[in-house]
Amino acid sequence: MKKFIFAVFVAFWASIGTIAVMEAITPPGPDSESTFPATTFTMDDVAEHDHLNDCWMVIEDKVYDFTAYIGQHPTPASVLAPWCGRDATEGMRTKGIGREHSPAAWALLDNYRLGSLEANP
Amino acid sequence: MAIRARVARLLVWSLALLPLVFFLTGLRSTDFTSLAAILNLLGRLSGVLGLAFLLLSAALSARVPGFDLPFGGLTRLWNTHHLLGASALLMLLAHPILLAFAAQGHGAGLAFETLFPPLSERSLWAGWLALLLMMVFLAPSFSFFGSPDYERWKRTHDLAPFAVILGLTHTVLLSRTMPVNLDLLVWGFFALLAVGAVLWRFVFSRRIGRLPYSVVQIDRPANNVVELTMEPKRRALHYRAGNFVYLTALDPELEAGFGEEHPYTLSSSPREPHLRVAIKALGNASRAIQSLAIGSKVTVEGPYGRFFKNPDEVPGPELWISGGIGITPFLARMRHLVQLDQGGDIRFVYCVQDEARALYLDELQNLADAIPGFCLIPHFFYRQGPLSAEFLREHCGDIEKREVYICGPMPLNRLAQSHLRSLGVSRANIHSEEFELL
Repeated sequence: MKKFIFAVFVAFWASIGTIAVMEAITPPGPDSESTFPATTFTMDDVAEHDHLNDCWMVIEDKVYDFTAYIGQHPTPASVLAPWCGRDATEGMRTKGIGREHSPAAWALLDNYRLGSLEANP
Repeated sequence: MAIRARVARLLVWSLALLPLVFFLTGLRSTDFTSLAAILNLLGRLSGVLGLAFLLLSAALSARVPGFDLPFGGLTRLWNTHHLLGASALLMLLAHPILLAFAAQGHGAGLAFETLFPPLSERSLWAGWLALLLMMVFLAPSFSFFGSPDYERWKRTHDLAPFAVILGLTHTVLLSRTMPVNLDLLVWGFFALLAVGAVLWRFVFSRRIGRLPYSVVQIDRPANNVVELTMEPKRRALHYRAGNFVYLTALDPELEAGFGEEHPYTLSSSPREPHLRVAIKALGNASRAIQSLAIGSKVTVEGPYGRFFKNPDEVPGPELWISGGIGITPFLARMRHLVQLDQGGDIRFVYCVQDEARALYLDELQNLADAIPGFCLIPHFFYRQGPLSAEFLREHCGDIEKREVYICGPMPLNRLAQSHLRSLGVSRANIHSEEFELL
């Protein structure tokens, strides 16, 4: 058993090392912003989509339609409902106690992006 | 006894798997939609199991006297503790890697970001710190970097409570392992068990569990063995023949081991007014204790172990096999049987290198003569070679009918067990006491 545990211990550090090296040598990707629609919305536009069957949110000045995602979110839909039609940046930044959503969760956002919030006049 | 021990072990493992049941009730169909989702699920699952194993392993480390009995003695309880610890480490090593792989499924670079988030992500860094501490305090237990000495192993193992607290912090801050509210309930219960054990170990047992004794006599059965006779300063320890205790020597003059607790088998009969332990110089502390002075203060915690099924009588025929300092539980039982005026059909194969190294041989012979039905069979390596199955059969024609007790160095223990199995002794009739580090 000792040998097996030691092998897993080595495999662990080998995996961590591999992930770190991959990160260090991968060149930064092209700016992805240009691939998204340039459409802009106002807060009033977003506020019209304020229930679970039609749920838009604003996160860091980007507008998202999460209607299709609600069923996949790890917490019950009732947790998301109050954020529909509103700026949900705070919800994204403060999941649980003193903790943000994971990098993977932030990456998921792009799939649901409609455009950006209209800059304040 | 064997059945009770199995039930006790089964109960512990069932409890360890309890969080799994709650975790499974929270599963949804979206957890299986892609490889990334499945890896994420396995990552969370390994975290839940790892924490449950770690907390229960901590709970079993309390060493409350008597609690080890259903497990068949403290060394058996340590086995379960050790297996839980090993399983926890394996699960928790897999946990971050699986979650990192799962995150990579959502975009390049996310595995790295998941493993190494900004410093403000306290929950994740608490988890990292807990895992690193586990690697440090478990490295000696699994001989990662060679066999450790007892002191180093014990010192690093004292880091375990910190890993437990950090692991719990990590989980509570994330609060996403099980359906709402079950989280706090389940982990709260496990945390209570673990924290209770740690509190007993480091606070209460030092005040209540350790009984003060003073050394009143020192005998030297060999030049590297010392037998201490100790007198209770408060109340006397209640124990049975074959039990062991954790002894802490409080003599500041000691070269090593001052204030450290070490396990030693009691060599006295529970009928004697004083407590006796025979200690062979095997490590730094046991070497230093050879020069302990009369009048020294010690504390004794216990009793532990459940070596003999019936220490006070001999209901059926028995075979004892011993070597080296493994003589102590047998010496205690022989002294006890003489005190009780009990006899019985006992064959005692005492394996030693040569006559000069046969500890207590004269006293053993006298005790054997005083116990009706007792037969002492010395086995000398220099003359007879390693213990053989033929030797055992020759001296014990009815060996398969006997309860067999083995205590001695690991090589002798293994050899004896393999001979016994080949001679048809059932596993349930073989009882051995092992003192080596797991």
